[in-house]
Amino acid sequence: MTESSTLRSRLRTAALALTAAVVLASCAQDAPQDTWDPAGSEAQKIHDLQWPIFLIAGIVGLIVFAVVAVCVVKFKDRGQPIPEQTHGKAWLEYLFIALPAVLLAGIAVPSVAVIIELNDTDNADCVVNVTGQQWWWEYDYPIAGDGSICGYMPSGESGSIVTSGQMVIPTDAKVVIRGTSRDVIHSFWVPRLNGKRDMVPGRLHTWNFHADRPGIYAGQCAEFCGLSHANMRMEIVALDPVDFQAWIDNQLEPYQSPEDGTLAADGEAEFIAQCARCHQVDGLTDADGELVVAHPEDQVYSGAAPNLTNFATRNTFAGATWDLLTEECRDDVWEADPENFGERYLAGVDRDCLNAIDLRAWLRDAPAMKPMYTEPEQLEATDGLVRGMPYLALSEDQIDSLVAYLLERK
Amino acid sequence: MFTTGTKLLIGSAGLAWLAAAVYGVAQEGALGTIGLISAAVALSLLAGVNAFVRDSNVSATDTEAFDTSAAAQATARRSLWPLLTGIGLTMLALGMATLPAIFVLGLIALGAGLIEWLVQGWSERASADRAFNDQAREVVADPLELPVAGAILFAIIVYAFSRVMLGMSTKSATVVVFSVVAAIILALGVLVALKRRISVPVVTGVFSIGLLAIVAGGAIAGLNGERDIEVHETTADLAEANRCGTEETEADSHASQTVAAKSNPAATLIYDGSELEIDEVGDDGQVGTITLPRSNPTNVMFLNESEGEARLVLELHPAVDADGVAAGPERICTTLVEDGGRQIMTVEFDRPSFALEAEGVNYEFVVAGSDAAVEVIVP
Repeated sequence: MTESSTLRSRLRTAALALTAAVVLASCAQDAPQDTWDPAGSEAQKIHDLQWPIFLIAGIVGLIVFAVVAVCVVKFKDRGQPIPEQTHGKAWLEYLFIALPAVLLAGIAVPSVAVIIELNDTDNADCVVNVTGQQWWWEYDYPIAGDGSICGYMPSGESGSIVTSGQMVIPTDAKVVIRGTSRDVIHSFWVPRLNGKRDMVPGRLHTWNFHADRPGIYAGQCAEFCGLSHANMRMEIVALDPVDFQAWIDNQLEPYQSPEDGTLAADGEAEFIAQCARCHQVDGLTDADGELVVAHPEDQVYSGAAPNLTNFATRNTFAGATWDLLTEECRDDVWEADPENFGERYLAGVDRDCLNAIDLRAWLRDAPAMKPMYTEPEQLEATDGLVRGMPYLALSEDQIDSLVAYLLERK
Repeated sequence: MFTTGTKLLIGSAGLAWLAAAVYGVAQEGALGTIGLISAAVALSLLAGVNAFVRDSNVSATDTEAFDTSAAAQATARRSLWPLLTGIGLTMLALGMATLPAIFVLGLIALGAGLIEWLVQGWSERASADRAFNDQAREVVADPLELPVAGAILFAIIVYAFSRVMLGMSTKSATVVVFSVVAAIILALGVLVALKRRISVPVVTGVFSIGLLAIVAGGAIAGLNGERDIEVHETTADLAEANRCGTEETEADSHASQTVAAKSNPAATLIYDGSELEIDEVGDDGQVGTITLPRSNPTNVMFLNESEGEARLVLELHPAVDADGVAAGPERICTTLVEDGGRQIMTVEFDRPSFALEAEGVNYEFVVAGSDAAVEVIVP
């Protein structure tokens, strides 16, 4: 075998391996961000549009590749004389202009119609304010004049709900988000429920979501937003109306201090000393009975840190990057059938299901887990304000008590 | 081109100049600097002499050398680019020790000098025909030189003209000067257009005089400094002075000079003369509360549909420190908005509503002098 034929053979093998890898990549079993698997009416509109377009583009692509292949093989240089050179064939040129024009016009009409439909924010059943910042999402639920939230009247006291990581919405409802950003441009994208929508600081962007059935729908920030862009995730949790009502009622439950003398009570004191400068827990009071009000704007560049009032009702933490549940408990929630999903989700996190390893590691040294700008030498551009959670030098005892305290935030 | 010996001497001279500059700035030592400058002067002199005599190493008995030796070749054309390169190099060294701006300018001068020098060096050896070589240089250098020179010229004109405009004592004078200059340009354009034949020197002369006039005017105006810009009262001043009432203020009479952003509000508050109505995306027409995010500037539109003028006020109830000093203004407001008018108010909240509720107050949009109000909830 000559040297050139060996090289050719190796290149062929490499090309085959690459093609196989690309094809096999589409066979993932666990693909929660699959735009080809819509779970709501908005995503369905995109899906119904992209299928025929993909088909048309695929057919055009195949024809072009086939013609190129025929030309390459048939007219390969074998030393034959160069054929007669002609210039211009009007009817062929008109055809090659008209055909793509007709094709593109045919694609444009339904595309524009879908774009208009997707941007229709009238007759919303539920409105959620979504705010992006490096590198997590905050969700707050506007209170209507009658005290209702998303059309649901709280059974107990009315009040505001602020959460992060997971946005909880009712199923079979038109949910309109009003999005913005506190620092740089982010993009909200939950592929199974809708397309992407950029969130630009100082501007308000609206987008619609509709979930057909209960479940968790994963997403990812789709606009490069800095060091931990890849770790800026989000999940939309869809609950049926009864479970959504239960979720609202639970979120608005008044704050309960841990019992005196417990590890969680120590954790409350630690939280006030270490965490409450940035993280708000609604209703938390200090030893003098004064309300503890976080002031993240004094510490954090974006001016915000996740509200941890109902931390243990969520399944994720640190910008939805890590699960709060162990793998087994997580699967239990994610794989639950629609009838049982709400019950599993609303159970929140308990000690048996807690992913203590990641949570403890996060409290021990957050910047080691998620790249952030928290070291003093990195803060010149932000006048000393951090972007992300800094290293707090907590002892293992402090971490124990904080975990116990956070587990009671349900 | 330069002979090998000349190149060596030029390089050594350049190095000595550089060393003298760096040593002089960095060490501030007179003796060392004098020594290095002396060496640089001597080396420069030697380089010059050597370039002139082309190494002078041809034997008088070697007749072939009369045609083939370096000394027998055509000398390089005079060039400004080595000078520019040298200036750039010096500025680079000075900039490292002094100001970044000098470093950047040095970098630009060095880059430009080197590129031009390379192009000239290449073109001078393109052929034995000097005319052809000149043409070759133009082909390569013109696409680079002309846009850059044009951009620099344009920047000079714009900068000089802006100095003239800013140097006028009144706004009316700027209008007059601008109109006169525009009229002159128009008149010249008309004259040029009407003239069937016009010589290049005339056009060049007119443009040169115009350029000189603008640059001279800019220099004089620049030296005199900008006129005092009158500062008008704004809504920020009203907030600071706590004057968000119904009385008309200077800010109200100059409302047309404020930025009239009218797009992308989080909500529109419509005042009909008796109450405020909230118009939000997805939540139209409700009267009650409005939920706005914390620690994030948010735009709210005020639309006055009453029959008179009205001012929207946001009651902020700022936190007060131990000395009784408030963390910010008590309220912010729009200017007086006429009937049918709109105005954006940018709001930001640094405390959640529950912190205010504990003090028995809450964030509230009100219309000055009326009972119309909307509570703001900040989660």
